[in-house]
Amino acid sequence: MSGPEVHHLFHRPIADHSFSADRKILAVAKDSAVELYGKVAGAFKLKDELKGHDKTITGVDIAPNSGRIVTCSQDRNALVWEPSSTGYKPTLVLLRIARAATFVRWSPSETKFAVGSGDRVIAVCYFEEENDWWVSKHLKKPIRSTITTVSWHPNGVLLAAGSTDAHARVFSSFIKGVDARPDPSVWGERLPFNTVCGEFMNNSAGITVVYPTAPEQPPRAVISINTQLLPFMSLIWSSESEIVAAGYDCEAFRFQGDASGWQLSGTLESKGRPGLGDAREESALNMFKQMDLKGKAKDDTQLKTVHQNTISTVREYESNDGNVTQFSSKS
Amino acid sequence: MSIIQQHTSASLSDAWRTINIDALDPDSSQNFDTTSLHPPLPEINEADVRQLNAQVRQLLRGGDAEGALRGCLETPVYNGSESAKTVTEVLQSIKASDMSPMLERIHQSPGGSELLDVLIKYLYAWQPLPAPVVLLGWREAGHRVPLTPQQTGFSQVGSRPGSTNESTGAAMSVILSWHEKVIDIAGLGSIGRCMTDWRKV
Repeated sequence: MSGPEVHHLFHRPIADHSFSADRKILAVAKDSAVELYGKVAGAFKLKDELKGHDKTITGVDIAPNSGRIVTCSQDRNALVWEPSSTGYKPTLVLLRIARAATFVRWSPSETKFAVGSGDRVIAVCYFEEENDWWVSKHLKKPIRSTITTVSWHPNGVLLAAGSTDAHARVFSSFIKGVDARPDPSVWGERLPFNTVCGEFMNNSAGITVVYPTAPEQPPRAVISINTQLLPFMSLIWSSESEIVAAGYDCEAFRFQGDASGWQLSGTLESKGRPGLGDAREESALNMFKQMDLKGKAKDDTQLKTVHQNTISTVREYESNDGNVTQFSSKS
Repeated sequence: MSIIQQHTSASLSDAWRTINIDALDPDSSQNFDTTSLHPPLPEINEADVRQLNAQVRQLLRGGDAEGALRGCLETPVYNGSESAKTVTEVLQSIKASDMSPMLERIHQSPGGSELLDVLIKYLYAWQPLPAPVVLLGWREAGHRVPLTPQQTGFSQVGSRPGSTNESTGAAMSVILSWHEKVIDIAGLGSIGRCMTDWRKV
């Protein structure tokens, strides 16, 4: 695996980011605007700015096929940006939430998206043809705290959500007329809207992996991985037997395992990366000068990791044989 | 529900922004018991706790400090000060030079990481100041618990030898050195787990 490509965009935290399907466009949430970067000769250049929200944007996602961009923000709104010849045209989506939206992702079918919020609901939004309007349906029960993350099942009906009450839940977001009836799976056969297919608690503050068996049955295996590390913010499955997670330690870690057990298999950070952490040859004069000026001989204000602050999102960048991940950095 | 909202003079002013909407929402966290978010604590009756404490003391008298520590950590008693007292006794009886090798052995054994998480919880249970005073038997000895800044171990440096203050300070320094050693082995992750776990000792 080759080393990371580092693109320094700006000196602001990045709440969320998304790549287009051809990986030529990168959408990055910066305060209350989304900046679109185009890849020109190996570097990302600012191409467009989507302004429409009036509070910090918390989520951005580009639909891989249609190219539509959905954003959600602390101003409790979501906007769908339709690409056209003259630029992106925003459409307001009524989420009907009383608290900030925290997270947004398109479903694989791209006909709907889910917005997590601090209002203890997940708004599942879809386009209503006859009204020419995006409407939302709420997944409410049994959520009782802020939703921090959502993730779609490939069938576009099942939705997994993580929340601050340390629970991960699996819901059905089946909407008549929008979705095709899903094939029966381990999560159930008939799945009307807001069916709770699974509810799991993570009480180890590490990573918990659950292997489901059948509907209404206890899971085959629930494996908690305790680490010596600080909490993680985001994770992805890089394959069936590997998870990449990253968070407050400012570097990404790899976990491997199966239903019999999981363990931390190491960091993705390559040691001895050039440019950082290389000790310059110090003269005695310089050393004493530093001691006098700063009270210490070595300047240790930089972390040894690529990211110099908490990693907030890990997203899939390319997946063919081995997945390459792309992280959003805070700098 | 109609999506077009009716505007009145009340809704056009911004007075509505100051309404505490959580108080009006029956589902909000103000209006339900947040302890219902997690399963209840495992039940353990008082006789069991007494028996466990007796067993631990037996091991301690027999010189098996590691066994005593393991005994305490394998059956954590949530919401009980009695077993925290026993844990403190065990911790104080272990020499500083034995701490790291013993923690290393516990960490390497299967399920050892969970045991150290429990230990961290006991160490943090010490943090609120009146608690250690109770643990050390001040109450039993008939001392009043003065709520003065002198309570911290830090200010005990110049106190008279033989005073009870000294024992608090000494116990605190034992706890702090245990804390340091546990973090060296179990990592910062264990503090995170201790803070987020609903099962408090």
